[in-house]
Amino acid sequence: MRVKGKHVMFSFVLLITGFLVSLSYQYTSHTNQQGPPLSDSQWQEEDELRNEVISEQQVNQKLTDSLREVQRQIKTVEDDISTSERLYLNLVEDIDQLRMVTGSVGVSGEGIHVKLDDAEYVPGEDNPNHYIVHEQHIQQIVDELLVAGAEAIAVNGHRIHQQSYIQCIGPVIEIDGETSFSPFEVTAIGDSETLDESLNLVGGVKDQLVNQNIDIRIEKRNEIILDPFFSEKG
Amino acid sequence: MWLPLLALIIGILFGFLTDFQISDEYSSYLSIAVLAALDTLVGGIRAHLEKTFDDKVFITGFFTNIFLAASLAFLGVHLGVDLYLAAVFAFGVRLFHNIAIIRRIFLVKWTKKSDSTTKD
Repeated sequence: MRVKGKHVMFSFVLLITGFLVSLSYQYTSHTNQQGPPLSDSQWQEEDELRNEVISEQQVNQKLTDSLREVQRQIKTVEDDISTSERLYLNLVEDIDQLRMVTGSVGVSGEGIHVKLDDAEYVPGEDNPNHYIVHEQHIQQIVDELLVAGAEAIAVNGHRIHQQSYIQCIGPVIEIDGETSFSPFEVTAIGDSETLDESLNLVGGVKDQLVNQNIDIRIEKRNEIILDPFFSEKG
Repeated sequence: MWLPLLALIIGILFGFLTDFQISDEYSSYLSIAVLAALDTLVGGIRAHLEKTFDDKVFITGFFTNIFLAASLAFLGVHLGVDLYLAAVFAFGVRLFHNIAIIRRIFLVKWTKKSDSTTKD
């Protein structure tokens, strides 16, 4: 009986011992499979490398953000540029249009040609003043043409613009500081039909001028070229 | 005599078949437990050979040694001092001491036997 109890205890102790030993053995072989244990310096190095990678990633993240920001700015700037280019194109077209109107550039197109000349026959005792073309006659023609919708007008080749003046200086007239002689040729660009009719109205400009003994000739032309206001005169 | 041997084999089998992982911080506990078990075992063999074997001493020694070593290692881990080394050292020294005594006993026995055979 005593021997058996001792044996049981022995077996119990040996069981635990065997269990522990084999467990320890298994544990060691497991850790060996996982590769050699890392030394402190290796740990440190790995840690440093990991930190480096993380910081690099953070830097990358920041750079990506800023890149995105810059791309966004570029897009805005490009949009602005395209908008303003369109605006500039419109403005340039407007300027071209306005320059045509103000006489800064040459224009061409269909229009009307009016020739005013002094009367050829002057009765002896009469005042010759009544038989020559005066500045107000030209002014009348120009006004009538402008009212009728002429886009550009020139008198003897001098372009008439907003601030032009037509002045009488004795036997000749002065247009913007340049003297002109008879015969006077008024050329206007616009709808030639309308301009012609406006001048030929009954009791209109033509009739008045004819009554004042002025030789007036009106002809429609398909192509009239007007020089710009500030062009060099030969 | 076959029961302890069977128990040893069963224990070893259990140890191999149980597939639980021990994390690194508990590896010192395991090493101490193994050492304590071996120490007690060798101490038991030595006592048996010296004919002073007492099963109560043996069993209590076995368990208290393991428990004490584990608690010492636990304390060491929490104090930041490698106290389990002290247990390893103590068990190691005792293990070798016991083995040396066992060797001498066997040596004495063997010389006696050879003496008796030569005398006969």
